[in-house]
Amino acid sequence: MQDAGSNMQQTIAYALISAKISPELAIFCRISEGELTVPNTMSANNSENQKLNLNTALRILENAGRPDPRLASDDPDIQIQGVIDALCDLSIHDGLTGLVNATFFHAVLTREIERSLRTGRTCGLIVIDIDYFKSINDTYGHSTGDKVIQAVAAELKRSLRSMDTAARIGGEEFAVILPECAPEDAIHAATRIHSVLNPMTISVEENSLKLTTSAGLVWTNPNASSSSAELLSEADQEMYRAKRSGRGRLCYRYDDSTLISHQERSALMALPMEGSVDGH
Amino acid sequence: MATEKKRARHIAVISGKGGVGKSVITANLAAALSLFGRKILVVDADLGLANLDIILGIEPPHTIFDAIHRGLPVDEILFPTTKGFDLVPAGSSLPEGTLFTQGLASNVKALLASLEDRYDAIFFDVGAGIGDVVLFFASLAHEILLVVTPEPTSVMDAYATIKVLHHLHGRNEFLLVVNQANPDRSSQVGASIAGHLRNVISKYLESGDPIKIELVSSIPIDPMVPRAVKARRLLMETSPESPSAYLLNHLAGFLDTRIF
Repeated sequence: MQDAGSNMQQTIAYALISAKISPELAIFCRISEGELTVPNTMSANNSENQKLNLNTALRILENAGRPDPRLASDDPDIQIQGVIDALCDLSIHDGLTGLVNATFFHAVLTREIERSLRTGRTCGLIVIDIDYFKSINDTYGHSTGDKVIQAVAAELKRSLRSMDTAARIGGEEFAVILPECAPEDAIHAATRIHSVLNPMTISVEENSLKLTTSAGLVWTNPNASSSSAELLSEADQEMYRAKRSGRGRLCYRYDDSTLISHQERSALMALPMEGSVDGH
Repeated sequence: MATEKKRARHIAVISGKGGVGKSVITANLAAALSLFGRKILVVDADLGLANLDIILGIEPPHTIFDAIHRGLPVDEILFPTTKGFDLVPAGSSLPEGTLFTQGLASNVKALLASLEDRYDAIFFDVGAGIGDVVLFFASLAHEILLVVTPEPTSVMDAYATIKVLHHLHGRNEFLLVVNQANPDRSSQVGASIAGHLRNVISKYLESGDPIKIELVSSIPIDPMVPRAVKARRLLMETSPESPSAYLLNHLAGFLDTRIF
């Protein structure tokens, strides 16, 4: 049952991506006879549409603790729309933090890598891992561990631009996607986020807990295709470098041989534009 | 002369930024060179977002992917246009998320090698950006025609294209076409953009060999162009007397003497 549920989450997430994250998912899902058919467009080896029984969907949502008054509606149209909305929400978010989950993170990152290839502009990726998280869990218990994770997530949410995406991609590992962000700007953003998190003090009952995070920053290469997993693994390597060099650090490698610096940008912008057509 | 084996010159039409008129320029140049008696092939190299077929008003049955991916013989995907040149269409056939792998790249190379002796020139109408597909086609080209408009974003992207091609492929020569310039003073606009690019390049880019930016045409913005695109016909058919049609013809003449 659990497996069927998480499979379904993945399918819905894929359908969302192919629908360009349109809230009008209903267009993509055929609904009839109490069944929801989701085209599995992203999966090459599975061309079969997946069907989800309405009762199964309702059970998944009940287990996930996602109450929506529409789920109990007598009108099947309202009920099924409620199911779609709740499943979409469930399929992309992490329950503990409200950040997007790993599946959706990879979908967004894949899209941004493609955008980067088309536009030639870089997209930044930060990976953040809480230092000594295991000993926090062991010393104070899992509920304290959860609070620490929620506190880091809340800080992340506060420090992002509206276009950025923060995700919880593992137990105590987070990622931030910075679309259309020049390397200098990504360094600036990552440094700002890193300084907010380091050190971070969290009060748990009578104790106040001081913690640090290690972070790695990388960029998309607008000149070469790569998968979201490859880029994530590069960012992980930078983050592990930060761990090895003493934790509580931010690591990145900056190679500017093919990227445009701020100086070049402003020099180019200084082009006398009186020659252009008015309004262009 | 007749016994000499022909080997087509490869010309990449490239811009960095999209929507600067690359496909329109490519199609008109190819048509003009065909009128001069040259055998021309145009490869729609904007894999995934091609629009040459739209500009030409055609619906080719097969695309380059049927050849490089599904093994269809090259003669079945070659599309003879009514403008005198042949087209290797791309359609919108590259599925989203498909990686341009080494395997696909070497299939494209083999396909071009099999066509080289049939044509005088092969044009690559390359997509926007400086992604791997763009770099691949640029690396195959003997000449790079860089299209830029007076918009700051276009100038920026043209510079980024020059920088990447210089650093990654050692390219030092670019033929600059300034498009959509103010009709009252298009040649000044062209000269000013070329000069500005040269200045920034000499300040930030040149370390060893000089980079040569040769301004080969300054084409004014022309309301006849969108009209021709809308009619799905070529500018040189709909308004052969318009200034931009004249300049494109002139540019074709320049290329004709330059590369053959």
